[in-house]
Amino acid sequence: MPATGTRKAQRKNTRKPKFQADLAPVEDRMVRSLKEELQLSSNSDFMADAVALFGWAVRERKRGHKILSESTTGEREVLLLPRLERVAPAAVLPHVNITWNEKELESLMELTLAEAAQPTEALVRVMRS
Amino acid sequence: MGVIVRRLEEDDVVENFDSKDEALNNYLKKHAWSNQQKISIAVTYIAVDESAPKTVLGYFTLATSAIPPSSFPKKHVRGLPAYDLPLILLARLGVDHRFEGKGLGRLLLREAFRISISVSEQVGCRCIITDAYRHKVSWYAKYGFIPLEGGGEDKTTQRMFLDIRTLKAALKA
Repeated sequence: MPATGTRKAQRKNTRKPKFQADLAPVEDRMVRSLKEELQLSSNSDFMADAVALFGWAVRERKRGHKILSESTTGEREVLLLPRLERVAPAAVLPHVNITWNEKELESLMELTLAEAAQPTEALVRVMRS
Repeated sequence: MGVIVRRLEEDDVVENFDSKDEALNNYLKKHAWSNQQKISIAVTYIAVDESAPKTVLGYFTLATSAIPPSSFPKKHVRGLPAYDLPLILLARLGVDHRFEGKGLGRLLLREAFRISISVSEQVGCRCIITDAYRHKVSWYAKYGFIPLEGGGEDKTTQRMFLDIRTLKAALKA
């Protein structure tokens, strides 16, 4: 009995996570068409390739590299995808010095030491959008 | 209109940008690229339409800064770690007047917030600071910016503060 229990536990641990997506008809048609073109028989294979491609794109944009296509005549078209641009900022922003007066610094210090203010409704909405 | 926000590039079309504010126009046209690429003191992000991806509709500029503990009034410093207070400066934010009222400012601000959160998670930062035009103070306040005391009524701008913790709380709300 304990051996069976262990096997069950192992099976449970190795179970792959399921991924379900609601697709609009047009997206569904696109997925089917892409699977056919790429000769992919399963949705899992399709997802694995799509994730690999997206992962590569994210890594490249994070490094500040552009993703572009180049035609046989040398015309280039840069891929602009809003979500990719979010990872592009290369996080490290340049440094500047700001001039402060004593009162501003005091006010800043008080705000910094205090509990953070609750987000306003407009801020919550903008961050959700 | 499908709008994308991305970093400014050298061949972006900035000449026609008109926010009806000379300082904002001049910065984008004369300084944004060199400040970003040549002397690296600030990074500018622009909003463009997918159908004309080189034409700037609006922009904002970010930089980091820090305040050494020795700058703070003595009565507040006691008990604080002896490190600089890292912050992000929202140095510029402007929208072309022909595209006002379409939510571009809000979109730009959102992207500035997202970048700030990302920076705060990667290198640490405590707050966002901006010097808002006085007639724009209520707009920034709507999104949680708090005016700092000591600005002086004679100044054209009001220094404002937004805690990164407030931003993060907004994400979870």
